[in-house]
Amino acid sequence: MIPAAVPPWARAEALGASMPEFAPFQDEPPQMRSGTVGKTGYLRLGFEQRSGQTILANLQRQAPYMVQRALHCDEAMPGLASVFLITTTGCVLQGDRLALDITLGPRAQAHLTSQSATKIHAMDANYAAQSQTITLFEDAYLEFIPEPVIPHRESRFLSDTQISVAPSATLLLSEIIQAGRKYHHPDECFGATVLSISTSATRPDGRSLFAEKLVIEPRRYEMRQTGVMNSFDVFANVVLCTPKEKAVRIHERAEADVNQAGGIALGACYLPNDAGLIFKVLGRETAQVKAKVREIWGLVRQEVIGAALPPLYLWR
Amino acid sequence: MITANENVDGSKITASLSRTLQFGDSMFPVGAFSFSSGLESAVQEGVVRNAATLRAFARTAVEQAARGDCIALIAAHRAATAGEIDTLVRIDAQVYARKLSDEARTMSVRMGKKFTEMGVAVIGASLLRTWRECIEKSVTPGCYPIALAINFAAQELPAYHAFVVHQYGVATTILGAALRLMKVSHIETQKILYELAGEVEQMYATAAAARLSDMAGFAPLTEILAAVHTRARVRLFMN
Repeated sequence: MIPAAVPPWARAEALGASMPEFAPFQDEPPQMRSGTVGKTGYLRLGFEQRSGQTILANLQRQAPYMVQRALHCDEAMPGLASVFLITTTGCVLQGDRLALDITLGPRAQAHLTSQSATKIHAMDANYAAQSQTITLFEDAYLEFIPEPVIPHRESRFLSDTQISVAPSATLLLSEIIQAGRKYHHPDECFGATVLSISTSATRPDGRSLFAEKLVIEPRRYEMRQTGVMNSFDVFANVVLCTPKEKAVRIHERAEADVNQAGGIALGACYLPNDAGLIFKVLGRETAQVKAKVREIWGLVRQEVIGAALPPLYLWR
Repeated sequence: MITANENVDGSKITASLSRTLQFGDSMFPVGAFSFSSGLESAVQEGVVRNAATLRAFARTAVEQAARGDCIALIAAHRAATAGEIDTLVRIDAQVYARKLSDEARTMSVRMGKKFTEMGVAVIGASLLRTWRECIEKSVTPGCYPIALAINFAAQELPAYHAFVVHQYGVATTILGAALRLMKVSHIETQKILYELAGEVEQMYATAAAARLSDMAGFAPLTEILAAVHTRARVRLFMN
């Protein structure tokens, strides 16, 4: 059960009420009010290492979020707990308040992904907000690589991720954001109203590592402007928190290139305070960006764990 | 308006204008000339090819600064006017934590340190000396926007002047580098600089109303160009 005093999505609600980019969207949907039952998905996932295998020791869930069980299906990492995040509504709607709390105990290893792309539907009132916390204890290893986000026309979405990572732990966190359903309708390309994506990380003692807030407002700031998206349509932000010596090895092998003709650009920078690396990938098509994110994932797994990636799913 | 140039207020305004120009001059020795803010790789990769793409690239940089660094600049000016060193340290840490490219960080802390040292030498206010000590003892990283804010607050120059100087600096660093990196005329770069100045007023109003936690941005290609720059074989500039 969810503790009633302070619901886990209270943070998402508070952020949406205070961030200036959401100030014009405080009206309530004419359908169900924001944050009511069915619009407050919650997941608490607690992974622990038990005799060589990582198990999902703690699971709390509330619709529309769902997780069934941890699978141990990765041949190169048999102890790795693989979990699919499921959304029973199939999309994010106006008034949704979602929360996700992930904890990995010492030496736990997990891979998290979503079943399919996350669609953020068009909105005519209010907004959708999601808050996430990711806590990694000593030597924990988490790959959080969900499928892309597809913002529809007139969508307003807030995402806030707070990370606490032990100096010896590794977190690979990827987010792929499409311009929209550009082949469905020309207005769908950068048709979203606001996408606000915040990520911040600290050490367990509270020392700040880095913070980033991306605010995408295509009507206020030209997306095609030189230095912003140019001719690219798909953007991936990949955060890697890992000990410095691993970050150095990965950075040496990481690709950095701008290929406008081929429609792909990517590069990696060192995060402040020896937190790790941040990769940015731009592409014309989602498949190109997904392929590059997979390359980064492969590089990280090889350098940090010494294991290979599972073969590519045919239908993903 | 400065019409009564014979009274005391008039001479004070004249001095403040002159000092704003002095500390905002691209000639002011903080080493801005050794940075291109990503333009060097933008030219090498063909992202910036002519005056039109240069204008857009410079505009992106000015816009990103207004949405990020300048919010901290205005907050720091407020804290410096009140003499709150702890608040300044906190703001500085937040600016540093938000600089996710190593070259952008290097640029900010180098210029910040140099600007503070120059302030101590030229103005000599106690707040500036305290800040230099904080930087030297690694109490704080000492990013450029904070140094600029403290300097202007110490001279009792308004936050608005510091904002204008910051934004002028962002533009002239890129445009100055452009003259050395690509085929563009002085007339074209001056036209771009003139146009960009037209938007400063609105940008200041937005930044002055924002909270520190509202610092944001979105310029992924600029960030990729910074990453590409660290790998370039030939480099004229430090970023």
